[in-house]
Formats: sequence, C-alpha cells, structure tokens
Amino acid sequence: MMRPIVEMKNVTKEFYGVAALREVSFDLAPGEVHALLGENGAGKSTLTKIMAGVYEVTAGQLVIDGEPQSFKTPAEALQKGIAMVFQETSLVPSLTVAQNLYLGNEKFLNRLRGIYISAQQFLQSLNFGVDPTMFVSQLGAAQKQMVEIARAVHHKAKVIIFDEPTATLTPEEKHHFFALIRRLKKDGVSIIFISHALEEALAISDRITVLRDGQHVITDLARNFDRDKIINAMVGRALSGELYGKDAQKRIPRPYGQKILSVQNLSMGRMVRNTSFSVYSGQITGIFGLIGSGRTETAKIISGVVKRDFFHGGEVKLEGRSVRYRVPRKAVQDGIVYVTEDRKIEGFFETKSIAENIYLNLLSADLNKSGVIVSYSEMVELAKEWTGKLNVKAINSDARVVELSGGNQQKVVIARALVQKPKLIIFDEPTRGVDVGAIAELHQVINSLADAGLAVVVISSYLPEVMNLADRVLVSRQGRVVEEFAMEEATEEKIMYAAVH
Amino acid sequence: MTIAMGGWLERFLGRGTASVTVPPLDGALKPNSLLEEAQPGITVAAPDNLALLDGAPVWSSGAQLLRLDGDKPSPLATLQSDVTALACSDAGLIAVACENHGISILDRGGKPANIALRDAGKYSCVTALTFANNDTLLVCIGSTDNPLSAWQRDLLEQHRAGQLLRIDLKTGEVRQLANKLAFPNGVLADKDGSLIVSEGWATRLIRLGPDGRMSAQLIEDLPGYPARLARAVRGGYWLTVFAPRSPLIEFVLREPKYRRAMMAEVAPENWIAPALQSGLSFHEPMQGGALKQMGILKPWAPTRSYGLVVEVNENFVPIRSLHSRAGGRRHGITSAVESGGRLWLTSKGGDEVVTINL
Repeated sequence: MMRPIVEMKNVTKEFYGVAALREVSFDLAPGEVHALLGENGAGKSTLTKIMAGVYEVTAGQLVIDGEPQSFKTPAEALQKGIAMVFQETSLVPSLTVAQNLYLGNEKFLNRLRGIYISAQQFLQSLNFGVDPTMFVSQLGAAQKQMVEIARAVHHKAKVIIFDEPTATLTPEEKHHFFALIRRLKKDGVSIIFISHALEEALAISDRITVLRDGQHVITDLARNFDRDKIINAMVGRALSGELYGKDAQKRIPRPYGQKILSVQNLSMGRMVRNTSFSVYSGQITGIFGLIGSGRTETAKIISGVVKRDFFHGGEVKLEGRSVRYRVPRKAVQDGIVYVTEDRKIEGFFETKSIAENIYLNLLSADLNKSGVIVSYSEMVELAKEWTGKLNVKAINSDARVVELSGGNQQKVVIARALVQKPKLIIFDEPTRGVDVGAIAELHQVINSLADAGLAVVVISSYLPEVMNLADRVLVSRQGRVVEEFAMEEATEEKIMYAAVH
Repeated sequence: MTIAMGGWLERFLGRGTASVTVPPLDGALKPNSLLEEAQPGITVAAPDNLALLDGAPVWSSGAQLLRLDGDKPSPLATLQSDVTALACSDAGLIAVACENHGISILDRGGKPANIALRDAGKYSCVTALTFANNDTLLVCIGSTDNPLSAWQRDLLEQHRAGQLLRIDLKTGEVRQLANKLAFPNGVLADKDGSLIVSEGWATRLIRLGPDGRMSAQLIEDLPGYPARLARAVRGGYWLTVFAPRSPLIEFVLREPKYRRAMMAEVAPENWIAPALQSGLSFHEPMQGGALKQMGILKPWAPTRSYGLVVEVNENFVPIRSLHSRAGGRRHGITSAVESGGRLWLTSKGGDEVVTINL
C-alpha cells in the first residue's frame, strides 16, 4: 500500500474533559474515496475538523505526507492542501457567489467582471447551475452547498473533506456531484466523505470507516460491507427492521379523522400556484416532492411565516374558519406549528442552551405557568422533561445547541415545537442530516403524535421515509399538489412519476 | 378582521367570501370510478327518491312510484303530477309529495290511505320527506319562492327560503320547525330526537334540535350540493351529492349583474349553473379543461354535473365515497338507501337506478 497522505495515530480529543474522540486511528490513501460513517455524535465531524485545522488534538499524532503536523488554523491546513466543506455553510452571505469562490485570493485590484467570467466557467465545468453574480443570501440550501463544494475544488486541495454534502441536493444534483467526485479521484485527489445516506457511501467509496461513541469500530474495503453490516457497526444493534423495513409496505394506514385544515387555491408568487389539499387529524399526511416544488413555501404560508399573494391568494381554512396570519405567533396560538427544514438558521438560537431554547418557545406561545413572570425553575423542569422524552444527548445540561450533533439539534427543534401544544404540526424534512439511530427515534415520536390524534404533516424528499411514515401521500410538483395516493396503492415508482411528470 | 374589512374590500382583494375557491376532493373523497363502473342497473326515466318499503326499494320516476318485481320494475302507483319526494314508514305508509298537488299518504298497496292532511295541496317544492315515527312526518320545503323545477334559479338568485315542517298525522297539526334555510334537501331523524338536515345552497349538514333550533354544523364546505340522507349499516350515514361546486359557478355566484343578465337572456339548460346531467349539447357552457383532446376527456375536467355519494361515520367524518367523474353517465345522484349489503342509488341525471355490492 502507498504511503498514506493523511494518517492519524491514536488521536484523542477532549472538550472540557469529556472525550469526543478516544484513541482513534485513521488513514487516507492518495486518490482514495474514504467514507466516514457513524451516528450523530460519533465523532466524525471532530475527526475531520482536526485534519482541517479547526481543532488541535489532545493526545496522539496527526501525520500529513509522512510529517507530523499540528495545524493552528484552517488556513494552515489549506496550505498543506487539506480543504473541508463544512456542514454548516461558511460562506459570506452578503457577497456574490464569485466573490465567495475567490475570497482570500483576490488580487490587489479586484475586477468583478473578471471573476464573474472565470467563476461562471469554473461552475459550469463542475456542472453546477449557480449564477455567479447572485448574492449567497439569495441562494437556496442546495445551491449554497454547491458553492461550498466548488470552493473546495477551486482551492486545488489534495484532500477534500465533504461533511454531508448530499443532504440538500436533488437526485440530479447528486448525480453531478458523484461524477465530480469520480473526476477528482481520477486527478489524484483524496476524498473523505461523511454521509448518513448509506447507499451513497457504499456506491461511491473505496473504503469505509465506522465510528461509534468517539471510538473506531471498523475500517474495511467498501465491497466487504452491505447496508445491514454498516448499520450494525454504527449502532451496535440491528436496526433494519425498525427503519425502512420491508414490512413497512404492509402496515395499516390510520383512518381519516376530522378535516382540520383545508387549503384552497393557495398562491404565492411563482413558488406556490393554486394548490389545494386537506389535512386530517389522527394521521400522517406525507408530502413528497422534489426541491423547489413549493412544499416548504406552502407550509410556511399555513403557519404564518410568509404571506400568500395579496390579491386572490386563495384560502386556508383551519377547522372551517378562514385564517390569514401575518406573523407565526397567531398561528401558534391557533395550534399550527411548523418544524423547519433549515434548523441552523430558523430552528433555534444556537448560542443559547437547550433549556433556554425550549422555554423561549413556551413563552412565545403564552403557555408558561405564571403569565408575565419568567421562571428559571420552570425552565429547568421543562428542559429536563423534554430532553428525557426525546432522549437528547448533550455533554452537559448547559451545552449550547450549536455544540450538539445534528440529530440532537433536531430533537431540540422538535421539543421546541411540541411544548407549544400543537393541533397541527408540520415537519419539514425532519430527518435531514440525522443519523439512522436518531431517525428511528424521530419516526417513533412522529408516529406517536399521530396516534395521539394530532394532525401531522411530514414533508420529505426521501421516498422511503414518506412510504414508511405517511398514511396518505400527497405529491407536489411546480408549486401545487398534483396527486394523492392512499397507502395501499402507493409505490415508489408511482410517486416519483407523479413528482417528475 | 374579515367582517371589519367589509364586503367591498374582500371583493377588491379576492379574499374571504369573495375568494372563488372550492374544497378539493381528497382524503376519503378522493375520486374513483366505483359508481361509474358498477354493474348496469335499471333504466328508468329520471328516478328521484328511493325509500325502503318493508325492506324492499321503492322509487319515484316522474309521476309514478315503482317497486322491484323480481328484477324488473313494476308500477306501484301513479300520481297526478311529478313526484318530488317520497318516504315510507315502518307501518307501511307511503308519503308522497307531488308538485302542485301537495302531500298525500298512500298505503302499502299504493291506494290512498285513510289519512287526510289539512291544506295538503298547498305544499310545493317539497324536496325530502321522512317519517320520524309512524305518526310524524318531517317535510323539507326547498324554497317557498320557486318550484322544484326552478332549483337552478333558486341557487343563482341565492334564495334562503327553505322550511322544515313537522306534520302530526294523528291530529293533522302542522308545525314549522325552521325557516330561512338555504334549500334544505334532505332530512333524517336521529336516534336522540334531533334532526339532521342537508342544506343545499349552504353546502353543509346541520343538526337541529327537536324544536328546530340549530345546535351544530355537522359537515361544512362540502365540495358539492348535498341531497338526501340515509342511514348506513355501519352506524353512519350515506350522503348523496347531486351536483358539484366548481370555481366557475362560485365565480358566477359572486357576480349578481351577470347572473341577472344570464337568466334573462339564456335558456335555463345552458346557464352556468350546476346540473344533473351535462355534455348533451354543444350549446352548454364549457371550460377549456373540458375540451376533448384526441378524443379523450380528462377525468379532472371541470364539469357541471357529477355523481357522488359519501359514507360518513357517526361523527360525520367521511370514510368512503363512490364517484362518477366528468364525462360519466351516472350523474345527479339524488338518493341512496342501503339494504341487504347493497347500496341502491338513483341517478336522476343518468336515468338509472344503480345497485352496488358493498
């Protein structure tokens, strides 16, 4: 075997005395695609951040190209040819796409026209359809991800670390992305690929390493793995029956309850166009659609986050009453709660603790015990109750939400929604960027809500998730619900056909 | 907010009462073709009201009452004019309402029974009859302003002139339980003595107390105009929907000037209004979506007539529905009864009595 380009020897990393990584050894060969898998909080991000110079090791050794290294900053790592595409986007929102790509290597006089042209050529060579003159703040999540990837490629790094690159991409964009990875690999670039989509990891990588609870479990060639084996290594137990199991097809859908929400002819700009559908209590309504099909926007109109067209915008009827919210607060008071797909921006206050986050939502729904008085003990009590109920794992109870792993963050977001005692709860991509173990837990939570008689809407771009959770499936395309399937007749092919054609 | 805004502002913004929206057919009301594809039924001209006489179906067709003799219809009685509503009691009495001739009571064999109603001849536009018990008859008067044949005019002029009457057959006492109803089109006495009424133009089901005071709105904002009701074996009810709502009709209903001009100048069968049957003449109003392309009428095409019967459970939550969609024949379902594991339906628009094995 060739000399590894990156090697980590018995690396330990501690935060405030708590080990996030314990004695992990890892190596990366030149021109290799190496998938790094594990549950949320298993230490994948920590491991790669050490390579990229974000963290320093507490014990152990990092060897780059045969030389021991200790990066103080990500810039140092970049100089050595190690670039990382972060999970949370690190672009400057007030600059254009092209400016972001060339950020840090501008000439003394920076001519915008020149960098727009070269950025356009560069993005096109990667098959990414992003306009280089757009401000990053105007881009959607998927496009931001593409710019982020383009920036890493642009730095001509020898090692590129992708932290969940495909979570926000459409199937077509994924296809381009994988083609890009193969192209990079051919050019001799080594790639570390962190993903929760196990099929992708199996398809694209040469080797797979699985971490669990900060410890190394297994490293082997990808062809020696299959789905069940990986899951077993990741969670230490077999999960396949619980998650996206074969018998999911045969489950009995819940019957229709009262019609709680009727959306009629709703329109908003070009994103939502004359959509009509109903939501019934006591069951899960799955909404499937490709990115850009207006699902999120529809949900946001219902919950008062954005407003429908001013003229002839259609009607939203909640229990027969026509409602029109200017702010989400009124919607929350009426029992409509929306759980965002973009938790990092809209889901929580990232520098506040779990307890503060949950309690704030209780306050905003006017559900705290003593009216105007903010009670610390009530907050602690509430946080204890909900972290217990949803099994939120944190290093300690004062941990800021930004320090939690994706799955635990999502649980906090859901806890924040549930304290508001909703009648209708809309989950937008509830398991995006969440590991398999946490997905099973979240699915259980969602199912129990429907069993308790709530009207639950699950918006998802992941077909097996819709098939597994929903009692009826609505398919959204070009801003409108175009098809409805009962669970007995729904197949993945039919749903996909309706979503694309 | 909506009320404070005032009607003119709503009209300007296209919101609230001025929004031309129709609830979608989804969930339990998801379109299927169970009604359209059911086995061929009995062809009779404009069958209207079905009832069970001693467990066997009896229905009206024009001025005739028909019953099943083997599997062929045989006449039970012939009335003076078109029968608009029909009900049978457990004791074998048949109450029949005829346009211009009021309500009469027949016995099991179709002969006039020994019961004479006071002012029997004055009732017109009787849309539904039902026996609350053997001595009490409930009468839905669709509109005191228009005869039943002018029901489209009644909708387009937005009358609320319906009445619900209770007639005591022993004493002949008539009591008005409710008035100013928006075309009551079906009535059922519930076990607890309350009354379930379908209000056609309000597209809803309401519950009235025994004294006629409204106590609840059971189903609101139906996607069509409801007709008669029947009890289902599973504990709920069958609700027939005789015509669909559509955005075009909703729009026309918000334009009084246009409606007046249309009613004055256009033949009634070509009005933009719901109908019991459609697609018979090229003079009929049509929307672009209903244009046949390559000989195919899209099943989602906008249509003036539709066939729909809905089963609701005891809490009035729809649990299943049978449809005859755009371009189908079995439209204008006006009544349904369930008997012996089969559902009997009258398709007034399709001239057929249909049976479906449940």
